[in-house]
Amino acid sequence: MLPSEHTQKTEQDVSLFDRMTESVLRHFAGRTSRRGVVARLGGLAAAVPLFPLLPVSRASAAAPAAGKAASKAPTPFGAKAQVKDANACDYWRYCAIDGNLCTSCGGGVHSCPPGTAPSPTSWIGSCYNPQDGNSYMIAYRDCCGQDSCNEVTCLGTDGDQPSYRPMANNDIIWCFGTGTSEMYNCSTAAVVGKAS
Amino acid sequence: MSLLSPRKSWLGLLLGSAAFFSAATVQAAEPVLQTEQSDVVTLKPYSPHTILVEDAVYTHNKDGRVDVVDADRGVLLGMVQAAYNPNMVLSPDASHFYVGETTWERGNRGARNDLLAEYDSQTLKLTADEKLPSRALVTPKRNDMAISADGARVYVYQMSPANAVQVVDTKEHKVTHTVEIPGCALAYAWGNAGFSSLCGDGTLSNVSVEADGKASVTHSAAFFAPDKDGIFEQSPSVAKDGATYFISYSGKVYPTILSANSVVQPAWSLQEGAGLKPASDATAPFEVTWRPGGWQMSALHKDTHELYVLMHRGTFWTHKDAGAEVWVYNTDTHKRIRRMPLKVASTMVGVTQDASPLMFTTDDSGDFFISDARTGKLLRTMKGLGTSLIFTVAPGEG
Repeated sequence: MLPSEHTQKTEQDVSLFDRMTESVLRHFAGRTSRRGVVARLGGLAAAVPLFPLLPVSRASAAAPAAGKAASKAPTPFGAKAQVKDANACDYWRYCAIDGNLCTSCGGGVHSCPPGTAPSPTSWIGSCYNPQDGNSYMIAYRDCCGQDSCNEVTCLGTDGDQPSYRPMANNDIIWCFGTGTSEMYNCSTAAVVGKAS
Repeated sequence: MSLLSPRKSWLGLLLGSAAFFSAATVQAAEPVLQTEQSDVVTLKPYSPHTILVEDAVYTHNKDGRVDVVDADRGVLLGMVQAAYNPNMVLSPDASHFYVGETTWERGNRGARNDLLAEYDSQTLKLTADEKLPSRALVTPKRNDMAISADGARVYVYQMSPANAVQVVDTKEHKVTHTVEIPGCALAYAWGNAGFSSLCGDGTLSNVSVEADGKASVTHSAAFFAPDKDGIFEQSPSVAKDGATYFISYSGKVYPTILSANSVVQPAWSLQEGAGLKPASDATAPFEVTWRPGGWQMSALHKDTHELYVLMHRGTFWTHKDAGAEVWVYNTDTHKRIRRMPLKVASTMVGVTQDASPLMFTTDDSGDFFISDARTGKLLRTMKGLGTSLIFTVAPGEG
């Protein structure tokens, strides 16, 4: 028996904090590239001095409410999602995204980069916003016509179904009917309605 | 008395010495290189350890490739282009392989071509280059394409966006059927003239390919709950006898014999087979336990009835997380018989089909790890073989 097997069998004895930490770190390790980590650490180092100047720092008084909202999160992704950085994989709208963030490719959360075209069809996710405690329907529309942008790449799998459920599958190239080569560049995440 | 005069004798000695030293000089120098002719290597017939590795090159998808690898030496033997979310299958006798790919005439623009390229396995020369009506553009999964047990048909899943499977006659090099499979996806080949597809209502669609472009379709009863616990599309399948192990996100294994009347047997649990309680499904997504996951997250060694599954610890909805370990099950006893921690977590596992099987895994840098499948011992690493190595195909898998 391996040590980790023993750990598994005595899981009830392990603190919630330990389990959550392990889960988050495994999740993070499995989803991030070394380049992505370096980029984010660099971004963090640059951004930290700015935080005291920004209004969001004063929103810390609302932390208990946010914590309460997070506890209502229907999925593990929602429970740790954030609402401030649309260039990070844990941004709340990206719970089911798979691919390159258009925010890092010259576009925005619902805007395609220049030189590409948005897909009229998409797959749909339901993501929890920890700021207001609501879940929203998110349309992950691909931007098409150029090859992979490949700056910040994320893989969210909340509600991700195999391709026999195409509207919930994030592996399909959703570039049908764009009038382009149907070559995938990046993914946007537009709010299309409230889910709850 | 010498026959030579003294003067001639001296001259002979001088010439002899010159010849001796000249020969010694020639012997000491590098030999003069011979003129060479350029030629092309022809590979030997494939051994059980000569494998195909699909590299989807996610960073610039239009430049995918299929590598031919000698896994005994950890050496790249050759490669072919495989453009834009390609698929590939190897013929049962390993003499040919097929690449489904998509190109545009002017790179990222112009007319689209969906193609099925046939390669000679030893020369890597094109032996056919069939234009297809369409093919699914989706991050490649093994069962987006399949080959019949006798190699006479290749099945190409298309989504345009209506779902269908094209049947390609590999002798005539033409599409003989386009079978619509509404609400279903993928192709798991069985026998010489049939395939099944997984459907969004929890059923299987079973297609018998008939003559004159006809096909008959049956549906099995629903056997899984798609909303609560989906089935991995990369579940391993054997065309020869239709034996398939559909694995659910939570870790249920549904042994199935695919045919025109597919039979799904009661499910067993990966966790229970390892002495753990079954994992939760989507109704309790926060439970952390060992779960199957990755991309090509499972492989089958047919002769020993061993099922290899990449496992990680996580919540539900972590079905694409890389596996930290490979757990090996006996498909007859449903028990875990080996547990092999990986040095580097992998989204892919593959095995060869011989009596001394090798196991293949990768990392997110495109390194390729070759291990002894019976022990998990890492034998050799091919550093930077590719960019996005997503599955392997070894001779005899079908």
